[in-house]
Amino acid sequence: MKNQFSVLGSQFSAIKSVWSGRPRPLPLILILVLLLLLILSTPAFTQSQPIALKNAKLLTVTHGVIENGTVVMQGGKITAVGAAASVTIPANAQQIDATGMTIYPGLIDSETALGLTEIGAENMTNDLVEMSDEIMPHMHTAEAFHAESALIPVARINGITNAIVAPASSDTLPGQDSFIQLAGSNATEMLLLRDNAMPLNFTGDERRNRGGFEKQKFPATRMGLAAQLRQAFIDAQDYKAKLTDYGRKKADAAQNKKPEPLAPKRDLKSEALLPYLEGKKTIVLAAESPSDLQTAVSLANEFKLKFVLNHIAHSQPVLDYVASLKVPVIVGPIYEAPKDDERYDAVYSLPAQLHKRGVKIVFASYDAHNVRNLPYQAGFATAFGLPYDEALKAITLNAAEIWGVADQLGSLDIGKTANVVVANGDPLDVKTDVKQVFIQGQSVPMTDRQTVLRDEYK
Amino acid sequence: MRFMSKKKYALLCLCLTITTALSSAQSAPAASNDIIIRNAIVMTATRGTIPNGSVWIHDGKIQAVGETVNAPPGPKVTFIDAAGKYLTPGIIDSHSHIALNDDVNEATSPVTPQMMMKDAFDYQDKAIYRALAGGVTTSLLLHGSANMIGGQAVVIKHKYGATRDEMLFPNAPRSIKFASGENPKRVYGGRDQLPSTRMGNFAVQRQALVEAQDYMREWDSYHEKVKRNDKDSKDATPPKRDLKLEALADVLRGKLMVQIHIYRADEMLTEIAMAKEFGYKIRAFHHALEAYKVADQLAANNIAIATFSDWWGYKQEAWDAIPWNAVIAMRKGVRVAIKSDSEDFNRRLNQEAAKAIRYGGATEEEALKMITINPAWIVGVDDRVGSIEVGKDADLVIWDGYPLSNDGVPEKVLIDGEIYFDRQQQGLGTTHYKEGE
Repeated sequence: MKNQFSVLGSQFSAIKSVWSGRPRPLPLILILVLLLLLILSTPAFTQSQPIALKNAKLLTVTHGVIENGTVVMQGGKITAVGAAASVTIPANAQQIDATGMTIYPGLIDSETALGLTEIGAENMTNDLVEMSDEIMPHMHTAEAFHAESALIPVARINGITNAIVAPASSDTLPGQDSFIQLAGSNATEMLLLRDNAMPLNFTGDERRNRGGFEKQKFPATRMGLAAQLRQAFIDAQDYKAKLTDYGRKKADAAQNKKPEPLAPKRDLKSEALLPYLEGKKTIVLAAESPSDLQTAVSLANEFKLKFVLNHIAHSQPVLDYVASLKVPVIVGPIYEAPKDDERYDAVYSLPAQLHKRGVKIVFASYDAHNVRNLPYQAGFATAFGLPYDEALKAITLNAAEIWGVADQLGSLDIGKTANVVVANGDPLDVKTDVKQVFIQGQSVPMTDRQTVLRDEYK
Repeated sequence: MRFMSKKKYALLCLCLTITTALSSAQSAPAASNDIIIRNAIVMTATRGTIPNGSVWIHDGKIQAVGETVNAPPGPKVTFIDAAGKYLTPGIIDSHSHIALNDDVNEATSPVTPQMMMKDAFDYQDKAIYRALAGGVTTSLLLHGSANMIGGQAVVIKHKYGATRDEMLFPNAPRSIKFASGENPKRVYGGRDQLPSTRMGNFAVQRQALVEAQDYMREWDSYHEKVKRNDKDSKDATPPKRDLKLEALADVLRGKLMVQIHIYRADEMLTEIAMAKEFGYKIRAFHHALEAYKVADQLAANNIAIATFSDWWGYKQEAWDAIPWNAVIAMRKGVRVAIKSDSEDFNRRLNQEAAKAIRYGGATEEEALKMITINPAWIVGVDDRVGSIEVGKDADLVIWDGYPLSNDGVPEKVLIDGEIYFDRQQQGLGTTHYKEGE
């Protein structure tokens, strides 16, 4: 394969290491390079020089495949995409021959625990979910997000550039999501959106019914879960009414020079629920079985919540109903075991079944350590009937649309953020090696703690 | 044949053998227990790939493999046309806990070698079927890792819908599960019992082996007395049988293959030293996520690994896991298997093996070996299964796409020459199991 990636890939890592990993003793040469960088460096997220990736196969997502194409990235954005012959490359651009490579937009994982966990079994490294109460809308994953997590480089060097960070699903309302970019010098830079969505889980697993009757506490049943949810939303409605009333009285007082009224006591839980009650933000409604799904949807409708669906792994009997809701579905994980009476591929084929009914789908890893394997789930779904283009969309453009960032992410289009992946083949195949990832037009060091260990022992 | 009862089938096989023997001069009558899979891309796992090959199955065994096979004449041969499809050996999962009715760990004592996993074997577990549909034909069902010395494994064939006894791999060698590291420490340390540290772990293991040595000596001296056949012999009384020590004595005698759950490199070295101290061999390190750090020593001691492709970080001792582990170890001479340890991964071990191509550049055949002949060696059945070779059990998978990928999936799975799974069939796709039975 004739291209410059074997050489240039490593050059990128050495020269343009804007995002450092864990501190490690540095070789002298690297220290010298870094000193040079200090002199020359520009702030993170400012792409200093245009880059042109030439002669590659481009999977644009929005306008098909360009067999011999060129992408130009400038100022952190994609400034040109097209057939190699038709793209004008800026004179000052660094030109990289990517012959034989496949280039596609950075992948988006629609549910992860990135930055909320480091070592699964070590609780001090976990900030996954508060279990003290089931109604925790005032938990903000953005406030626990650990930007320096060693898991993040592991995911991003396989081409995952953006992700939803969600609290674990043990509560009905476990807190609010964030939408991150997997590169940046600190959490603020990486958190593109805070509190952009809120999970509402209704699978039955949220019940506090473990350990027999004597250990049960409320809510131990689905009736309990639903009643508690209703109360929470009604409380928030009341809170809103109080706030509205207060606003009116305050305006009236100001106008008529009356003493200012007493502000209602702040209620963080209700406050957090307001944007969702007002339909300004998206509820991620998770259910698995047909009955839970319909209960959850009726609850959401009761309060006019704007929602997307999540999981529905065992809702095969009601897929027409799902389609009738006209909402996107975060599907899976498709590796979830089928019920004992279901065919082995009942969940594998769910993406295809939903797509066939016109449902917009996205995939999620629902994981932290294994976020890098997101594209393989999409690839596997193609073996069970999902068209390839839809599988790729489900981890790029569809996700960008659901999360409201399609103007910036999800495809190789002029004007979008230059989150671009260069790989030696099909992004959905396990055998494909990602050679270089660009985030906002900057080459990401293709290293993580695992490559360091590999190089130490190989 | 598919719908023939077992007894009838056995009878027919017997008859045919006789008939064939008697009629060798004339053209042999067609045998319905002959199947020929033709036009397949035959990936043998041990002898390369035949781009357009055939496999002749006779009496459940592989009778011939090649570009063409000498088909037995007659109309009763079943032909399976596999044009454009791939044929591989059945996948072998060398680390599984399915079909044990949730009885994976007898976590009431850190030394329980007398536990027989066969006693918990639930042959109706749907997990057997789901793995079968992913191409798995043989699994090693191990005791869990709560105990330093766990129980004895059972080897099964995934003949879903057959009887319990038909699913047991006939005459499979015996294996025992050892464990180390965090799990025993956590289980017993959490109860303020020994072991709660790695020192404790190894002390428990050593103590058990010392007791087994004593027990073995008692029995040896008894047998010696009897064997001498002198005046003392008839007074010799056998020592009291102790199932626990009997099993451990079998470890020391090399009659039980030792399969060790282990993560850290330092612990691997300690286990190797312990095995030398007591004179037994370690068959395989399981999980073995740090094998890449001490691969030379593993190779020198002929210890295989049964590892994950890229799982990591779920516990402290999995923190140094790297996806290159399999290939680095393999290049240093270690026999490497990719195993599932999971009801999830055992449905797509082919995808996990394919990762070895990406992480470290394993060849296609090397990757395929990691889920066929290499795990077969770990289980001790590599002379019977794990490759497409004449004389081996006809445990085969026909794939509708390239198996070392995530979009090639099994179309048909054969065990002992019978189709047990067929994707084209309605319902579950099982040929022997019928829903509602």
